[in-house]
Amino acid sequence: MIDALLALFVWHNLTYLVIGTTLGIVIGAIPGLTATMLIALTLPLTYHMDPVSAVTLLIGEYVGGISGGLITAILLRMPGTPSSIVTTFDGYPLAQAGRAERAIGLGIMASVVGGIISWAFLAGMSPSLAQFALKFGPWEYFTLVLMALVMLAVLSQGSMVKGLLGAALGMAFALPGIDSSIGQARLTFGSDVLLSGFGLLPVLIGAFAISQILRDTMQPEITKTPPVPNRRLPVQWRDLITHGPNMIRSSLIGTWIGLLPGIGGNIAALMSYTTARQASSEPEKFGTGHEPGIVAGETANNAAIGGALIPLITMGIPGSVTEAILIGALTIHNLQPGPLLFQNAPEIAYGIIAAYLVANVVMLIVMWGAVRWIAQVVRLPRAGLLGVILVFCVIGSYAVNSSFADVWVMLAFGVIGLGLEAARVPLAPFVIGFVLSPIAEEQLRASLMLSDGDPTEILTRPYALIFLGLSILTLIWPAVAQRRQNRKSETPS
Amino acid sequence: MKPTFLFTRGIGDIVLGGVSIAFAILLFIGAADLPPPRFEPLGSAAAPRILAGILVLLGSLVIWRAMAKRRLPHPSGDDMTAPPAHPLRGLWTLLALVAYVAALDVLRAPFAVATALFLAAIALILTGGNRRAGVVYCGVGLVLGQTLATIFARFLYITIS
Repeated sequence: MIDALLALFVWHNLTYLVIGTTLGIVIGAIPGLTATMLIALTLPLTYHMDPVSAVTLLIGEYVGGISGGLITAILLRMPGTPSSIVTTFDGYPLAQAGRAERAIGLGIMASVVGGIISWAFLAGMSPSLAQFALKFGPWEYFTLVLMALVMLAVLSQGSMVKGLLGAALGMAFALPGIDSSIGQARLTFGSDVLLSGFGLLPVLIGAFAISQILRDTMQPEITKTPPVPNRRLPVQWRDLITHGPNMIRSSLIGTWIGLLPGIGGNIAALMSYTTARQASSEPEKFGTGHEPGIVAGETANNAAIGGALIPLITMGIPGSVTEAILIGALTIHNLQPGPLLFQNAPEIAYGIIAAYLVANVVMLIVMWGAVRWIAQVVRLPRAGLLGVILVFCVIGSYAVNSSFADVWVMLAFGVIGLGLEAARVPLAPFVIGFVLSPIAEEQLRASLMLSDGDPTEILTRPYALIFLGLSILTLIWPAVAQRRQNRKSETPS
Repeated sequence: MKPTFLFTRGIGDIVLGGVSIAFAILLFIGAADLPPPRFEPLGSAAAPRILAGILVLLGSLVIWRAMAKRRLPHPSGDDMTAPPAHPLRGLWTLLALVAYVAALDVLRAPFAVATALFLAAIALILTGGNRRAGVVYCGVGLVLGQTLATIFARFLYITIS
């Protein structure tokens, strides 16, 4: 870990981290633009970097992107990212009461503390969890991927059936191409372009960036201009003690929620906010500009990042689209995320952990020093901003293979993403289904080969049975819960 | 903003279910040409067939639920969505993007020129025809396009268009 930290303090890695974090904060502060979009667009540029620098840049963007959302959430009541929705509940009223600087300062402090506490879990748990995951065979991996997909689909906001449909569609789009097991073309329908399948980057850029920009163009322009906060943010050391229990509790909730696939920072923030309110002696003050409300939400959404990185590094399982892109970043550098990462490329595994810690510190410095100016990015004309991002989408997809076929694929997936969103099919299961489909198929085929085609072999694998049981439970639980609720409401009191 | 009611939502879900089933049929057709398993028990066609089956099941469920909702006399709050304020802007932006990519790919237009025209078009679309914005972004596009083309060619050895 110390080596990884020292590697980060090489000038070019530190520069990438500062650039990534700053870019993330700026993009995160602009409502409609997200860290996911930024990371997807930056990914093609990392081809030419060494893996540590690439990971450093992307982790910086991730941390900055989640943290930057609090600025516009507090000043404009427009969360820059979905994770900052909860921050608007108390941040905006506090800003309206003339204490915007206090609200921003508390938000930054809470974000850093949440990040550092979840980093401790990431650093402490990951190596041992990876060691444990080394015992997994193909059955365990197949059922683990299945569980992640089912949880992601079921726990995504909206209808469970549509979540599952999104995951199945994403998995199906990953099928065309050369089947590596037999070396034969599959589902290409005679097209040479489809022989290499749909590239991860064009799919990600299309489904997330293009579809989101097209949605943004249909919305009315933001006409509000943010007030300019003062240079001095009135937060003191004693605030750490005053809000300490809230921050520790919210960090634990955020890390735990981050560990579970598909839930994300916004739910973590909401759960922490609700818990803080229940634990408070003055719950009626929440929603009126109460400081613990800001602290709870901002601590949890940043802590969720550290939690989500744990399954990514130790098992190669992405919990959200951003982690799916990070997996893409590792695979384009010929690195396989999972338990062997700690053995085959420890500088990367520990590099991710170290970058996450330093990114939180950089985020603190940048946000503390530049919040005045970052708040002004909302004033950037949307016509220019969206147009420039679209140019970057085109050039980013093209740069993958120097091929316009990838750009057309990106456009097609942009339209598919827009269609799915319009039909209320969540995009996260779609994209993660696309990423995990090859792993699931490969592991299932390997499992059946090892067991001579006997699927009952799974009964002899306890961990695989646990994962399978959890998948089934996750699938049937909503129906059971609904039935119990119906029965309760039918019973006369 | 006018909310779209149950009728529209139901139609959307029926289309979604139909598209899913059509996609599943495509998977079944594609899998029919694949050879049977030889060296391993599962084979290449298994995954497309399994997924096609799941898609048919889920697509049918979505259609069935949409039909059931359409029979309800009153829409619930969940079934109402606010339509986008400017749907045509999205369509025009998409068309401009398609034209931009086609100009680069099919017509082999110089990147800087195509980018300048594209940014001007986006500015006109999003500002409701403000010519000044169009001219400004045409200039921005020219500079941006030339800069990006130079950076990609010199440092990343990638020639755009």
